[in-house]
Amino acid sequence: MNLWNLLRHITMKHFRLRKAQIFMAAAGICLGVTSIVSFGVVNKSILFSFEDSFNRVTGKAKLQITAAQSGFPESLLEKVQEIRGVEYAVPVIETDGMLVSGKERSIMILGVDVLVDTKIREYSLSGDSVDVPDPLLFLAKSDSILVTKTMADREGFIIDQKIQVQTVEGIKTLCIRGILNPEGPAKAMGGNLAIMDIYAAQMAFGKNGRIDRIDVSPRQGENLETVRQAILNVLPNGYMVDTPAGRTRQVEDMISRFQNDLNLVSYLAIFAGMYLIYNAVSISVVNRRREIGILRALGCLRRNIMLLFLGETLVISIIASSIGVGLGLLLANYLVGTFGKVISETYMRTSVSGIHITWLYPILGFASGIIASLMAALFPARASSLISPVSAIRSVPYTEESFFTARRLNLGGVFCLVLSGAIFAMYNFISDSHLTNMILLPIAQLMIAIGISLFIPAFLKWFVTIFNRFFSSMFGSAGRIAGLNLRKNLTRNAVAVSAVFFGIAVFVASAGYTHSVKESVLKWLDSMIIGDIVISSGHPGSSANAHSIPMPVDLSQQLKKVPGVLSVEPWRRVFLQYKGRRVLVSAASLARYSKYSSADTKQVVKNNKIRLLPDKDNVVVSEPFAAIFKVKKGDQITLPTPAGPVVFSVAGIVVDYTSDSGVIAMDINTYQRHWGDMLCNSFFLLVKPGAKVNDVRDEIQRQFGSDRKLYVLSALEFKNEIRKIMDDIFIFNYALNVITLTIACLGIIVALLASVLERTREIGTLRAIGMLRRQIYGVVVLESILMGLAGGILGSLAGMFAGWVNLEGFFIPNYGSAARYYLPFSAILWALFLSAGLSALAGMIPAQKAAKTNIVEALSYD
Amino acid sequence: MIQVLNVSKTYHHGQQEIYALNDISLKIEKSDFLSIMGPSGSGKSTLLNLIGGLDQPSNGQIFIDGQPIHGISDDQLTLIRRKRVGFIFQFFNLLPILNAVENVSLPLLLDGVPFSRIREKAIHLLESVGLGSRTEHRPEQLSGGEMQRVAIARALITDPAVILADEPTGNLDSHISEEILGLLKNLNQTGQTIVLVTHDSKAASFGKRIIRLKDGSITEDISLSESRA
Repeated sequence: MNLWNLLRHITMKHFRLRKAQIFMAAAGICLGVTSIVSFGVVNKSILFSFEDSFNRVTGKAKLQITAAQSGFPESLLEKVQEIRGVEYAVPVIETDGMLVSGKERSIMILGVDVLVDTKIREYSLSGDSVDVPDPLLFLAKSDSILVTKTMADREGFIIDQKIQVQTVEGIKTLCIRGILNPEGPAKAMGGNLAIMDIYAAQMAFGKNGRIDRIDVSPRQGENLETVRQAILNVLPNGYMVDTPAGRTRQVEDMISRFQNDLNLVSYLAIFAGMYLIYNAVSISVVNRRREIGILRALGCLRRNIMLLFLGETLVISIIASSIGVGLGLLLANYLVGTFGKVISETYMRTSVSGIHITWLYPILGFASGIIASLMAALFPARASSLISPVSAIRSVPYTEESFFTARRLNLGGVFCLVLSGAIFAMYNFISDSHLTNMILLPIAQLMIAIGISLFIPAFLKWFVTIFNRFFSSMFGSAGRIAGLNLRKNLTRNAVAVSAVFFGIAVFVASAGYTHSVKESVLKWLDSMIIGDIVISSGHPGSSANAHSIPMPVDLSQQLKKVPGVLSVEPWRRVFLQYKGRRVLVSAASLARYSKYSSADTKQVVKNNKIRLLPDKDNVVVSEPFAAIFKVKKGDQITLPTPAGPVVFSVAGIVVDYTSDSGVIAMDINTYQRHWGDMLCNSFFLLVKPGAKVNDVRDEIQRQFGSDRKLYVLSALEFKNEIRKIMDDIFIFNYALNVITLTIACLGIIVALLASVLERTREIGTLRAIGMLRRQIYGVVVLESILMGLAGGILGSLAGMFAGWVNLEGFFIPNYGSAARYYLPFSAILWALFLSAGLSALAGMIPAQKAAKTNIVEALSYD
Repeated sequence: MIQVLNVSKTYHHGQQEIYALNDISLKIEKSDFLSIMGPSGSGKSTLLNLIGGLDQPSNGQIFIDGQPIHGISDDQLTLIRRKRVGFIFQFFNLLPILNAVENVSLPLLLDGVPFSRIREKAIHLLESVGLGSRTEHRPEQLSGGEMQRVAIARALITDPAVILADEPTGNLDSHISEEILGLLKNLNQTGQTIVLVTHDSKAASFGKRIIRLKDGSITEDISLSESRA
């Protein structure tokens, strides 16, 4: 009850008087909660969208048979249909097309057997389509296509309109024979879907005699697992027979690394928020020492003082978390489109139209905000309860009266750093990625931050000693007094320095992690992209192929005839199922690969030159593949091909960032021999010496542009496209950098403002004994700059360390890829510049006020 | 009744041990008005802090109405401060964020009593110290004398066994000082026990008894009622 009285009569009044500080603390937690809720809801919405689209496209099918993206022989259909428990087994072509006119939208094309497909999926044609009631008519005309009403309304399509669609065969003119009502499959992928006859789709998309999927509906009463086993028994190894729910799980697994990355961003954001709460409560405790002393003298228990500060934090965190949840949902609504684009470009096609709200993430965000705030407030709140009433009410200077002596602080710092190192060493021995990424990594980082922050008083002492010895005389009497003042109140000044420290540390850590991952990928890309011109028939950088329509390999013969072209190399990227997971097969000419690739790839290829000859069944695999499937050099892996399983030898393990699901690279001839797939996704062209890249590019567009939509880019333009995708992927990391830097800036200003205001009486004394106004101004600003610089330097060091831990402890285990730590020099320079500059700014206003203060008033300041 | 038995208080300054109080014994009867005098550093505030339970003696025993306030837990000591002791400080020590009536109510608010039940008593106490028209004013809107009156009202709100006043007029002019000391004298005449620390002999003369401290020891103990008689 007495706590309630304290909260009501004291806390509420402080809230009204310290609006800026309260706002700052609340803003930090609010941002953290916002990111947890928004990223969580967006992730859930994407998965929901996948699930919804799967279910709509799957219809009544209870099982789906899939293999490589290049398809499998349609002869398998009969085998499946003959299984006793199978009622219906219908073939499906599921591929990508692109509307050539308008905004060149990418669409999903379903090729179905219109005579039997209605047993699985229900199609409802709109009123305008009543003149095509007969599916046979649809069949008879191979240029027929059905589009959804959503697409028709958006693009202005009408019945019998001829539209141009980019296919494997080039630009094809198709006739709209019907418009599907927004029901069943027509609502999948946000309506970006069209239906063709399966035979026409096979022809148009280079899948003659192949299908992508068989949808199976078992007989009533049949056990699903029995039917599944029966299907597996008649199929060669390597085929996937799964339920739609199982396929959703695969997607969940596939994008889990991306989600982990976002979770890391969320937790860093909440960590930054925790620092603000810690900072706000610490400053509050220092500023309210006298109040605490009075309350203690009047009979307030120690625990109630602690509970008072925790209660204040609870009130702030409830308000901040509630606002954070609301903002998170708003942000999720805004971000879901960008996320969907990133997932579509890097993993697989999706179309997310809106957010899908479940209670999990709002509750998780709300609870995290409150728990993180209370944890952050615990230390300063406990320190508040240890304040002696006698010293507080007598206004004796703030001294190190607490448990935390300099020796104990240094020992604590060493302990935290050793603990962080031990956690980090444990990393490689723990296989549970949730435990490592979600619990151990944040703890290790927290230990680094706390460990280094405990050295702040010692560092400040050293820093001020250096300043006093070598630099103070350069600033005259202001420099000497500033140095003495800083040394005099190390603990109090350490609070302000720690404010700068934490903000800068989180900023530099986040910037270092992002910069290192990006630089590693870009440097790899520089070594991979060999050629002067890159040609693709869809989004040039799409590693998921969702927006890339393959081209016939034969096109290379025609391209070679273009004047100025020296060589043309095709590159095929295709996904297949390996041990229940989707992996990327990357097929190119190994001779070219060897000649121009990065040093480590070149070495692997050179060492295995004989074995990697196109007529040998050898592959090299990426580091994530080796990590996920525990494969070593010399192991054998069995891959599903249309002709049945084939054993390949692993000739080496290479760095390859194309897909975090794992990459199997092989010679394109080997790929064609086993998969019989004569398509490719890109061509890499070298131009003859003396020929101009732009001239060759223009000539290619002139010769082929009318037959198919081609993206003909110079190598530099291609790399820039990849950079754009990477910028999209890292947009949330950049957002985090901005958030942490903003928090750091605000933290610096508030901490130093509080520090200077607290010293009004001291400043009055200096004025009374004859210090000039400009000298007071100089002293206060100089002290602010020195505190800011001390925090900035230590924060940058901690940030570099924490960024490296993020990379080694998170990125490498999470993605299974090697990445090198690159120092974020520009971020560090910014950090130092801002910590000194903002501290100077933060000092100027109170310095001006202090310089103008009436001496008598200042001396009586209480 | 307050009993101080063989109390010492030492502080450590590096290796050196400094006696703030040295083996002091003292008895303060109910309804007494004791003035403690002495030069700066003589130990008068230290003695007051020990009697008030703000600090603990290094040696010796202290009792308020037979209840020990030495060697007990911090929580027990805090509750004694809250319920049995009223403090008046030289620099008033009012909370600047609270108005006069809230400052007066603070000790009972800490005891969990709802403000609605305290308010009337707090206003009555403010009226009794002549601040009936200033109840809603915050400390910054009050003069030094008015702030000290609020502090007196605050000290009285729990009906304490003793009021401890540490240089209550040290920050006030002579006219206001007399008013404040008059208020304390009036309170004493109603039976309130008061211990006053001062270095001003005029202020000390408002009490019934004076003790003088020097270097942590009592050098003189005079009963003014006897001497006046």
